Amino acid sequence: MKTLDKQIGAPMNRVDGHQKVTGAAKYSAEYELPGMSYGVLVGSTIAKGRIAHIDTKAAVGAPGVLAVITHLNSPQVPGFKPTGKDPSQPQTVGGPLKIFHDDKVRFNDQPIALVVADTFERARYAARLVMAHYTQETHQTNMAAGAKDAFLPTSAQKNPKSPMADYQRGQADAYKTAALKIEQEYVIPTEMHHPMEMQAITAHWEAPDRLTIYDKTQGTIGTRRDFAKEWNLPEANVQVIATFVGGAFGNALHSWPHESAAIIGAKVVGRPVKLMLTREQMFTQVGYRPYTWQKVGMSATADGKITAITHESIGQTSTYEEFTESTLAQTRMMYQSPNLTTRYRIAALDVGTPIWMRGPGEATGAFALESAMDEMAYLLKLDPLEFRLRNYTDQDPEKNRPWSTKFLKECYRAGAERIGWTKRKLEPGALRDGDWLVGYGMGVGTFGAHRGAAHVSAQLLPNGTVVLQCATTDIGPGTGTAMTQIAADTLGLPPEKIRFELGNSGFPQSGSQGGSSTVNTVGQAVQDACMALKDKLRELAAAGAPAFASAKKEDVALANGYLTLGSNAATRVPYADLLKQPGAALVNVESKPTGNDGQLYSMYSFSVHFAEVRVHALTGEVRVSKLVSCADAGTIINQKTAANQMKGGAVGGIGMALMEHAIIDDRYGRYVTKDFADYHVPVHADAPAVEVYFVNQPDLHVNALGTKGIGEIATIGVAPAIANAIFNATGKRVRELPITPDKLV
Amino acid sequence: MNSEPDVPANHDENRRTFLKQSSLLTALALVPGPVVSAAAAKLDERVADAFEKIPLSLKVNGVKHKLSVEPRATLLDLLREQLHLTGTKKGCDYGQCGACTVHVDGQRVNACLSFAVMHDGQEITTIEGLADGDKLHPMQEAFVKHDGFQCGYCTPGQIMSAVACVREGHAGSEGEIREYMSGNICRCGAYANIVAAIQDVKQGGQKV
Amino acid sequence: MNQFQYVRPTKPQAAIDAVAKDANAKFIAGGTNLVDLMKRGVMTPQKLVDINRLPLAKIERQGNTLRLGALALNSAVANDAQVRERHPLLSLALNAGASPQLRNMATVGGNMLQRTRCTYFYDLSMPCNKRQPGTGCGALEGINRMHAIFGFSDKCIAVHPSDMSVALVALDATVLVSGPKGNRQLAFADFHRLPGDTPERDSNLEPGELITAVDVPDSPFTKHVHYQKVRERASYAFALLSVAAALDLDGNTIKAARLAMGGVAHKPWRLTAAEQVLVGKPATEDTFRQAATVAMQGAKAFKHNAYKLRLAPNTIVQALKTAAAV
Repeated sequence: MKTLDKQIGAPMNRVDGHQKVTGAAKYSAEYELPGMSYGVLVGSTIAKGRIAHIDTKAAVGAPGVLAVITHLNSPQVPGFKPTGKDPSQPQTVGGPLKIFHDDKVRFNDQPIALVVADTFERARYAARLVMAHYTQETHQTNMAAGAKDAFLPTSAQKNPKSPMADYQRGQADAYKTAALKIEQEYVIPTEMHHPMEMQAITAHWEAPDRLTIYDKTQGTIGTRRDFAKEWNLPEANVQVIATFVGGAFGNALHSWPHESAAIIGAKVVGRPVKLMLTREQMFTQVGYRPYTWQKVGMSATADGKITAITHESIGQTSTYEEFTESTLAQTRMMYQSPNLTTRYRIAALDVGTPIWMRGPGEATGAFALESAMDEMAYLLKLDPLEFRLRNYTDQDPEKNRPWSTKFLKECYRAGAERIGWTKRKLEPGALRDGDWLVGYGMGVGTFGAHRGAAHVSAQLLPNGTVVLQCATTDIGPGTGTAMTQIAADTLGLPPEKIRFELGNSGFPQSGSQGGSSTVNTVGQAVQDACMALKDKLRELAAAGAPAFASAKKEDVALANGYLTLGSNAATRVPYADLLKQPGAALVNVESKPTGNDGQLYSMYSFSVHFAEVRVHALTGEVRVSKLVSCADAGTIINQKTAANQMKGGAVGGIGMALMEHAIIDDRYGRYVTKDFADYHVPVHADAPAVEVYFVNQPDLHVNALGTKGIGEIATIGVAPAIANAIFNATGKRVRELPITPDKLV
Repeated sequence: MNSEPDVPANHDENRRTFLKQSSLLTALALVPGPVVSAAAAKLDERVADAFEKIPLSLKVNGVKHKLSVEPRATLLDLLREQLHLTGTKKGCDYGQCGACTVHVDGQRVNACLSFAVMHDGQEITTIEGLADGDKLHPMQEAFVKHDGFQCGYCTPGQIMSAVACVREGHAGSEGEIREYMSGNICRCGAYANIVAAIQDVKQGGQKV
Repeated sequence: MNQFQYVRPTKPQAAIDAVAKDANAKFIAGGTNLVDLMKRGVMTPQKLVDINRLPLAKIERQGNTLRLGALALNSAVANDAQVRERHPLLSLALNAGASPQLRNMATVGGNMLQRTRCTYFYDLSMPCNKRQPGTGCGALEGINRMHAIFGFSDKCIAVHPSDMSVALVALDATVLVSGPKGNRQLAFADFHRLPGDTPERDSNLEPGELITAVDVPDSPFTKHVHYQKVRERASYAFALLSVAAALDLDGNTIKAARLAMGGVAHKPWRLTAAEQVLVGKPATEDTFRQAATVAMQGAKAFKHNAYKLRLAPNTIVQALKTAAAV
């Protein structure tokens, strides 16, 4: 009998590849519903103030228009009623803006009206006819000015143990009195997620109290909760479908005004409403990586031991939600510094709310920390890799406990070898290839290996296929594929016999796809569900299958699609045959971390990125000629999709390092970067060969699969690796991203 | 006949009257003022519907379509919203991402930047028309094999562009492929795998 | 987008008549810029005259010139054997612009007539004298890192975004125009305008005039040419600035030179004085630097584009170095 190949770790093709290459994969604006109508949002043209007058007459009268909804005529949304909280206090992150609820304008391009028409062209035209007049108030969109009023996030004010609270070990700001020290400021501009699929929703009230939305979301359950609450409906009455999500990178982790608007619109016109944002609106209405100012002070001994680090940061948020992220987390645990201070603040500006963008705060923080490491190494005339090795931590210096696993040294070794680190010269500007200056740099990344709770159901069908269901989503990493591999191995079935269904809030619950946690969480739940299903099959076999008449449950073995009994080769029953007898082969399990590994160990994924760059001596253009990304991410479920994710994260890091910046003209409080012509993201020609190396050692403290997560560490550390390489090539240290030619020429 | 001999049909006086009103409406819309003419509200929707549209013949993926469309409908919106061929994606709507790439008479173009009526009588191929029945096109096969995508949203555009890239003779080297595929953005960053897929097809020598 | 009347003539005269008699009519060819601007409400023509079926797409030799039909596609021109052989600079410039898809749509005439990419021009809520005369220039005191360093006025500091036009101005091309008053020719250098007090006018075309062709005269610039485009990413981006350089070398001595810049002015910016500096001198970096210094005379920067004062001369030097292969 042929033994099935092991699927975990294999470079299996994606299970949904066929749908994606044929155009059959349906995204949220691609469902056909009878009576479909189209929604187009009108945005404010001021950043702060009140709508004094809004004239919708022309729009209402335009051909095909079904409704024009503003704060003057929007239906009462039950969830928008005042909560009784002090309205002068900002709510903490999570609640969407209450659209069309009042006359207040909180940021530029805030939606102030929704036009619904029978065709897209007509809706778009009528939207131009809506005229608003404002009572303008003085806005503040400038971070340098806003930072003067930066404050400790409310969560940290309330809870001194919050990761956003000030952190201290050893002596405060000890670097200041040291002989060998650096002190530098670093800036990350506002960056936009810009997934290729613009945010879109199709909202359909199937009955007055039953809502279905086809929505771009990273979490069907969270989205269902938000909109059930908004309409005061039982969660069971709201269905969220997100079978395919055209990228998100974090911006679908929050419910946004356009989603509320489409649902309101569908309610008003009594027809399904399809609404896709424009690329301009993607800048203003669905979050972004916040502009962040940072300062790092660092001191070291002459032989390269860090004695102190102080890392401060101020990130941007909106006036109506407090957004925070873990900008300083990496600094507290990455290097062995006896004295360490972190201070995190946020500044509220008249802008939309930020949201975590790939790598989130850690990627922002790593730019400052890893640039500072490079600066310190240069001051000490030390190789930056050697400097990092001298400050390597064998246990978590923040929490004083062992790492669950840490193979970062192995990553250093593998990466240095692959990039050809020995070619690097200590002094910048020493390597040249024609008109191009060549340099090498490195940057380290880390992100918590998070595991949450998830439910997964597994059912054996009469045709021998096992169907697994979970409400989780796949924004691109290949979740369905990884889950299929885990299920195949666990069940002893070929992958063709597994069907993993996701992206529907009607399926067993899971958290959102974010924070590199999906495989850690859902993957383990899949394994657990498959184990439970096997158990169920043994039970069925022992209870009634004639071949196992005398067998005990424990004696029934399952492998390669067959149940067998001990050494008796004659007793061999295909799984599906069990369905010929009474009893359903269906299980639904909840899987979550148990035991106290989370308290005993610090669990992180680690990465290091090595960059080779070329900087044109005259024009200042930068080309990343080679990247090597090495990851200690635990068990790799699929070599092909995991490597793809690493390469993609590296490309995101190139964008962050070299070209991405969203710019506001503060006079108007309005973005002047409005589309892909002025907000550049990397294209094919910017993407070098990226060599990926996985340590591929399981971390069994995280889960039984041993996975730690890839998505974030793929990006964290890439931007500083490139910035450091540019310094090595040119001698120019650019501390404000992106490093565009104007900063080097 | 007047100086516009090849005007599509339905070009009569009622239509002119409507368009005059429509012009007025637009002109007013651009004047930031408290009042947009009430005349705008008087438009009879049914009349508008009848006179806004003009006939259009298109062959899409080998199928002939006789359509009646508003001139302002782009080829992209026509494909997605009227023909329900949603494989062609809207990624920016301004010709800045390539997600809407289709072939018009064999040449790759951005469907978002042309009006459908401009393609009267032309032949359009979308991602849905690339495979030969159930048999995937070699480029589609190669994208699956090399994992030339993640979220899949830019993929149809990448594949349509990749096929054209090979046909045009611009797949000679990795560098040339990168340059000639730069009109197709992949935010997931699957670029290296896409290039590998194209090289594979090119080197395989299959007919594309 | 407003509804509009759509007509598709097959004879140039019919197209000209259709636009000449209607102030709200526009020609549409590739549509790559016009459709974009219409979607955003920046341009709101009431009538579109589709000229794609006019017989103006040929690329053919006429005596000592290569005649590019106004409707010849950017990709067709870039790949044309005669263009590559006789005017490789044009081919390079075209291929540095946009993307393969857009080059398959955009035409010679449309490329010349593309409007500025200034963000204030694109955003209806911002002031812009080009879009709405009299509202002011948003860029003057605004975010002006992409803006002009030559030839601007206090009404407008926008730049012309075309790459192709930079090569054509360097190659002394001639624009052939047909209009209600008949045919006329304009030197390419006189086709585009500086903003002055009328930034709403990009070119010297009169109402109803249709570009029918561009003539590129034979020249000795068939070998030592380069189009150097500096942008924020490696491809598919508008230029921070660009340089078209063409040299005719006798050994190492420069017999003749052509230089033009893009992304620095409201029109493709021919650098005639710098060309003079080059003639008769050896093709060395030193010579190129002298020319670059002359080229920069009169340049003036704004708050965010001072880098162009450093980048432009460097890019001129680099373009010349590459053209001369030194």
